[in-house]
Amino acid sequence: METKWVDAGAWPDLARSLTEDGWWLADLCGVDRLTLTRGEGGRFEIVAQFLHRKRRERATVHVAAAGDPPAIPSIVELWPSADFMEREAFDLMGIVFEGHPNLTRIMLPDDWEGHPLRKDYGVGKVPIEFIPQPFLQFDSPHQQPNSQEAGVAVDRLGQPEIEGGQAAGGLSHFGDTKIGASPEEDEDHS
Amino acid sequence: MSRAAQIIADLERRGQGAFVEDFDEDQDRMVINMGPVHPSTHGVLRLLLELSGETVIKCLPLIGYLHTGMEKECEDQTWRAAIVIVTRMDYLAPFFNEQVYSSAVESLLGIEVPPRAKYIRTMMAELNRIASHLIWFGTQGLDMGAMSAMFYGFRERELLIDFFEMVTGLRMNHGYHIPGGVWEDLPEGWEQSVRSILKVLPDRFDDYEGLLSHNPIFLERTKGIGGMSKEDALALGVTGPIARASGIDWDLRRDMPYEAYGDLSFEVPVETAGDVYARYLVRMREMRESVKIVEQLVDGMPGGPFKVMDPKIMPPPRSELNSSMEAVIHHFKIVTQGYTVPPGETYVTTESPRGELGAYVVSEGGSSPYRMHMRDPSFVNMQSLSVMARGGLVADLIAIIASLDPIMGGVDR
Repeated sequence: METKWVDAGAWPDLARSLTEDGWWLADLCGVDRLTLTRGEGGRFEIVAQFLHRKRRERATVHVAAAGDPPAIPSIVELWPSADFMEREAFDLMGIVFEGHPNLTRIMLPDDWEGHPLRKDYGVGKVPIEFIPQPFLQFDSPHQQPNSQEAGVAVDRLGQPEIEGGQAAGGLSHFGDTKIGASPEEDEDHS
Repeated sequence: MSRAAQIIADLERRGQGAFVEDFDEDQDRMVINMGPVHPSTHGVLRLLLELSGETVIKCLPLIGYLHTGMEKECEDQTWRAAIVIVTRMDYLAPFFNEQVYSSAVESLLGIEVPPRAKYIRTMMAELNRIASHLIWFGTQGLDMGAMSAMFYGFRERELLIDFFEMVTGLRMNHGYHIPGGVWEDLPEGWEQSVRSILKVLPDRFDDYEGLLSHNPIFLERTKGIGGMSKEDALALGVTGPIARASGIDWDLRRDMPYEAYGDLSFEVPVETAGDVYARYLVRMREMRESVKIVEQLVDGMPGGPFKVMDPKIMPPPRSELNSSMEAVIHHFKIVTQGYTVPPGETYVTTESPRGELGAYVVSEGGSSPYRMHMRDPSFVNMQSLSVMARGGLVADLIAIIASLDPIMGGVDR
């Protein structure tokens, strides 16, 4: 199993020559080398796995993505199978694939902010996943918050309305994902 | 550019929603959403379809409805605890997820599991392949209008699930294969249970084939439907039974053996038609081959330890904790901190019921994975749906999705 490290500029040519040589693209994913030893390119890279069916060998190619946002030429024209893989790396890692016909989010909603697989995107730090809702109208006068008396727009709890009405999200957030991140108290199964 | 590449580029260039621009009343075009909640989409798969009457002009899969960030979650778990997350990816074939992840960690640790552990893992995986294919059989039949296939498939799967429960304690998401071996040795009476299952299954497979293989309605709805050429299958990264139905003679178990597969003799069924019926034939024969494989494994099951006896990686047996201070220390360290894995990266693959399941694991020397990526075959195979569905009827699309056998837990992870 051989491993190659290349720059973004050399990637399309390398992919083409590997393909002509009989290699088959098996996988492609993004890696954030924030605290790992880095190659020459910097923090982000994609890792592509190739398989040679006749020689029964595998090869790994690391492609460094330089710049902000990190960018790499797309290989979708060469390998249609890279379509979803590149979109996934864009969505979760924020690597831009230049020349991809439709580089949009694939796993997360289109209005999601940030790229979760980046190392500086902490689990449990971002509780907002609710789209701002319009001001709720209530039929019963007993439930209706009196916005005229308060002088400001209020939400249904009578609190001053935050711009965009985002207050509903995260009220019961207590960071359970972060708590769950502490070392497991694993039982002994032996 | 190949045909497959053109179709994918064409679809993606238009993107989501852009289909509506093409809307042309004269041509009787219609854009509809199929799913995400639809009985024939096997989970939460959403398809954006452009139809001309009943004919599918374009089909774009939109995924992500089951995305729970499992790869990210793994980065916060100890090496051993990540198994609990990994096993939930492809939930119909949990043993394969566990096995590929465990092998990746073992390769980073530089350890080799004992022969008995290899045999147990292989046996459980092959039984799981049958269980997974039985679900496929049931749903394929159900989607083609053969309700009884569903009942039969689930009835036989229950035998296997009961055996999994007997061995691992759980019906699904077992967490049984762990880095360094398996969680626990096989229980008493396992051999009798496996043999009784193996005795029953081939007869039942005969029944299934009697139900569907020559059923005129089933043939009408599967033969020549959803065809995919060998070139397209290669370009789209398709693996597993779907690739073998398109004439790609490749099976990791035979061609790049791992675990105990090197000791076994079995055949790899290959068809060349590339249609839904060819996939049916391949999977039916694969189940029979799996029965043969399990028979060989039961006959040749070696004795000895079922896990590596390195106390730095595996907690010592409970019995030692009362007498050995060292055992208590090892146990405490593993339970509280886990173990560290030397820096490095690895890509390990398994032939899962759906194709090449790969785990790319990076360690920075800590007690949890630095990066854990799964190449899930369902995710990659999903792209071929656009190519297979083009030009067919909506009813054919149902047959094609069933023959694709996608697991949305694996697609979205």
